[in-house]
Amino acid sequence: MRQAPYKHENKHEIMSYQRTPTYTRHQGNWNRNQNTVAFASAVKLGPVTHTVLVALMITVLGLIYLTQATRATGYDYEAQKIDSKIAELSSQKTDLEVENARLTALETVRNSTVAREMTSPSSTDYVRE
Amino acid sequence: MPRSLISGSRTRLLAIICVSIMVVFVVRLFYLQVIDHNRYVSLANQEQLKRLVIPAARGEIYAMDGTTPVKMVLNETVYTVFVDPKVVTKPNEIIETIKSVAGGNARDNLKELINQKDKRYEIVATKVTRKQAELMKKKKLKGLGFQATSQRVYPEAQLAAQTLGFVNAESKGQYGVEGYLNDRLTGKDGLLQSVTDVSNVPLTIGRHNINQPAKNGDSIVLTIDRNIQSYTEKALADGLARTHATNGSAIVMDPQTGRILAMANLPTYQPAEFTKVTDAEAFNNGVVTRPYEAGSVFKTFTVTTGLDTGVIQPNSTYVNTDSIKVDDRTIVNAARGHTGTITIQDALNYSLNTGMVTIAQRLGDGTQITKGARDTIYRYYHDKFGLGELTGVEVSGESAGRVISPDEDGGNAVQYATMVFGQGLDVTMVQVAAGFSAMVNGGTYYSPTVIGGVMDNGSLKPAPVKPARAGIITKDTSTKLRQMTHEARQLFPSGDRPGYYIGGKTGTSQTLDASGNYRFDQTIGTYLGYGGSEDTTKYVIMVQVSGKDMNLEGNIHAKPIFTDISNWMLDYMKLQPKG
Repeated sequence: MRQAPYKHENKHEIMSYQRTPTYTRHQGNWNRNQNTVAFASAVKLGPVTHTVLVALMITVLGLIYLTQATRATGYDYEAQKIDSKIAELSSQKTDLEVENARLTALETVRNSTVAREMTSPSSTDYVRE
Repeated sequence: MPRSLISGSRTRLLAIICVSIMVVFVVRLFYLQVIDHNRYVSLANQEQLKRLVIPAARGEIYAMDGTTPVKMVLNETVYTVFVDPKVVTKPNEIIETIKSVAGGNARDNLKELINQKDKRYEIVATKVTRKQAELMKKKKLKGLGFQATSQRVYPEAQLAAQTLGFVNAESKGQYGVEGYLNDRLTGKDGLLQSVTDVSNVPLTIGRHNINQPAKNGDSIVLTIDRNIQSYTEKALADGLARTHATNGSAIVMDPQTGRILAMANLPTYQPAEFTKVTDAEAFNNGVVTRPYEAGSVFKTFTVTTGLDTGVIQPNSTYVNTDSIKVDDRTIVNAARGHTGTITIQDALNYSLNTGMVTIAQRLGDGTQITKGARDTIYRYYHDKFGLGELTGVEVSGESAGRVISPDEDGGNAVQYATMVFGQGLDVTMVQVAAGFSAMVNGGTYYSPTVIGGVMDNGSLKPAPVKPARAGIITKDTSTKLRQMTHEARQLFPSGDRPGYYIGGKTGTSQTLDASGNYRFDQTIGTYLGYGGSEDTTKYVIMVQVSGKDMNLEGNIHAKPIFTDISNWMLDYMKLQPKG
């Protein structure tokens, strides 16, 4: 069984020791077991790149904002479409109710073929309880 | 070398120009965004923020069909079609489309209207249905526009026209229930305030949006039964055709609740075509708006007063000489010959004025219609039976009529001697029918009503019961009055179907001329009665017929109409005959 080189509870610290090719020691205050390593990137960004990146970030943020705002407005159009549909169906319902009322009006029923063929009873008997 | 601009160099000049331009921008933006902020916000709101009124739908009116509410008045969306002549590109196609789709609703001079290029708005068709409007819209004709409006629809045509009333061009209810309950039927418009796009589509962006929904008007359910109403109108029309009378009114009431089941008036009109009416009197519901001297039907009120105070019984007697003196006046009978000692029942049977004056005298000291007698009569007529005051029936234009109080000038013995047989006082048919209902239902006065309730989510929510005055006369008095009127009716051929308990009283009243004198050549015929079984009165019917320069009598002209309605009611209410 292999022994760990150092006894650390922090996993990240172990990894950082393993990945560190070079390090510089900070001058000044440091204590025992304290990580004092700073990494130096191999890629160097100039001021133009910084400016372009900031501009891109602002653009992306702007686009995100616009997308959200447009989405809200898009819902408004959806809601408007649904409202229009409701209004149209409601209008159709009203038309049908009017038609129903006209067809079941007393005058219409009285002039119907069925009503015309009806006859009065010759006599009426009552059921006695 | 230090990084500073050399004074006077071009670079320094450019820098100064740039900074100056920046300063101008900043100052201008500061002015626009800070100092003039409110103005521009206001301009933006004017452009983008729209206030739209959400119109409240006017409440519908229902009648009863037995126990089921049915629609009598509905709303329908119709369109007014207009053109903008300035932008019209295909006038012939527009004319052809409108003529073929709108038909009779199109204006006659379409070509002339469309060719008026200096105009921006010309109506070319009205009351176009939704389907017709859609057909026109499909053609996508440039310059053709549609404006939606709501109109009332009356599927039953002229049925109960004066009870319903109509809605005028300003969307205001006129006459009938439409007029009386206009506020309840109208509802309250809503408000939508919102930022809109170019197509007026409301958007949720913005901080000042308001969405206040409209409150639609109440949908009222009437107590009117459309079958009873229809038959009453038919019976009245048949009666007028038989008698050649020009005017007629009838009311059918449920005496056990005060609910009015039918009110008919002739001549009548079509509410949908109210603009075609030439005589505005046709709009009035004469049953509630037209007070008159009811004549001898009023004797039932006098007999009831006498019975209830105990001064007479049906078989109480008096000596009839066909005339009776009251102060300096002599009152005579219209029907002569029943002289001698006769009963109060006889006086009611033959409609003798002397019998009624005798009752009034017995309410006093026995020989005079004293102040005490007049007070008693007034208390019964006005305070108990509600005559001469508004009943509160929910129909526009109700008249109070007038019953002169003994404390007023003119409230003397002679006045009261005529009042007891139905002259010298003005009452409406609804007052008489409501008072008579109390007489035949055991003694409870119910305020007459046409409101049965409201439609709430498709179901009937009954109206609160109007306060009733119980015990205004005793049950015994009520029973005796029913028996007396039953006998009075059955004494003459009535045409009643056997096995039922029907009673009533005729009335023939003179009318007044312009100078206030009674005319003998123009009389109004009235009949007031009830029907049902011996135990319970199921309906009260009052009929009145009149005509210019016509002598119309209760017995000959009004009574057959009552009988017609009454016999039909027995079947409709499924009442079983006795025996």
